[in-house]
Amino acid sequence: MTSPIEGVMDKVKTWARVNSPWAIHFNSGSCNGCDIEILATLTPRYDVERFGIKLQGSPRHADVLICTGPVTLQARDRLVRIYEQMPEPKFVVAVGSCGISGGVFQGCYGVVGDIGDVIPVNVYVPGCPPRPEAIIYGVVQLLKSLQS
Amino acid sequence: MNISLPPLVALLLFPGGLVLLISGLVYEYADRKLVARYQNRIGPRWFQPLADMIKLLAKEEVIPTGVIKGLFIFLPIVALTAILTAALYVPMFGFKPAYSFSGDLIVTVYLLSLMTLCIGLAGANTEDRFSLVGATRALTQMFSYEAPFLFALLGPAIALGTWNIGTINAAAGQNLWFIIAQPLGFLAALIGLMGKLELSPFDAPEAETEIVAGALTEYSGRGLALFRIGRDVELVIGLTLVASFFLGGLGSPLDFLWKTLILLLVTAALQSLFARLRIDQTVGLWWRWGSILILAQLILIVIGRFVGPFIPFLGRG
Repeated sequence: MTSPIEGVMDKVKTWARVNSPWAIHFNSGSCNGCDIEILATLTPRYDVERFGIKLQGSPRHADVLICTGPVTLQARDRLVRIYEQMPEPKFVVAVGSCGISGGVFQGCYGVVGDIGDVIPVNVYVPGCPPRPEAIIYGVVQLLKSLQS
Repeated sequence: MNISLPPLVALLLFPGGLVLLISGLVYEYADRKLVARYQNRIGPRWFQPLADMIKLLAKEEVIPTGVIKGLFIFLPIVALTAILTAALYVPMFGFKPAYSFSGDLIVTVYLLSLMTLCIGLAGANTEDRFSLVGATRALTQMFSYEAPFLFALLGPAIALGTWNIGTINAAAGQNLWFIIAQPLGFLAALIGLMGKLELSPFDAPEAETEIVAGALTEYSGRGLALFRIGRDVELVIGLTLVASFFLGGLGSPLDFLWKTLILLLVTAALQSLFARLRIDQTVGLWWRWGSILILAQLILIVIGRFVGPFIPFLGRG
């Protein structure tokens, strides 16, 4: 049971969350292709500040963890740690084929697996590497799922 | 413009409190939008700072291990309180200051620098190495711009012979504008303000490419929100102060609007023109050039005040 005031408060909170997703970018072992595309997404040409998306340096400030690549043995602990450092509510976007399945690195001796094996993922963006438009579309899908 | 308000309204609603917080958000938006337009981007939507603020306030606040908990929670509140208090002595929105006494200029400058002190303490409080480096840089930067900034504001104060912000504001409009009489002071005040707010060329204390997010790395949720809104309000107060001293005083809300917006246009241009200075470059810039030029101007003003009455042309310049 929620009172009407709580209902309004929840609506305001959701509105604020949808309109101000601050992101942090983490490479858990990818070939850098996806990272270059993510950086291209943040350039003035695509201007994601239009949607309120801002790249943050500190995981404590971020809402969305944008992850690329398969998870290597080295990166697994760091990925989990960064995920745990983020304050609730937090979301994860896995960018690129490797983040979905391990990609060409699947079964390598140094690879744990895909990102979903290590931390819960909200949205997967396929592509090798995905275009900046696809990454923006993925984040928009995440925001839409928040709204409903 | 002169109106008198009941103290409670003055504290909570009109020049202090709510209206000030909202104007802080509006000026943050204007600043971000202007920088975006300078960079040929579209920029944020008009409600962006509000959405950021509500989101941060609704987020979980992580209190890391190894901090003094009371200090961690209390510092953002102290910072915001100091900034909101400073607004009471400044002619906000072109109205007469809500409170004033002789020498409130010094108190206001101290209250404005309390923000940086709190950020420095907040960084030093956590065990995080990035916070520590950020705190060191923030305090180092403060020691470099604080003296020239104060000297720059003292220029008009000494020229007019009063250290009361309200009186200076009223008298500044009647003389030659101080931006023409003391151009160096104006430059030092404006650039010092940018240093105070850690805006772009002087953002070494929060350089996200080197030290994550500087002194505020460990802050999340409420604490970060309070520091951010404090900085927004400091931007409004700083612009008001510089405009009232150097741009011929603020007589009406319309005066306030166009003068602060022109200043914002200039600071946004400087932000997008210059790349970040290293911390030693910032210190060097202020101590090698800023302080010496400001001191020279201050000496000239003092000499001018003694000699001025004998030369009819100079008058009270």
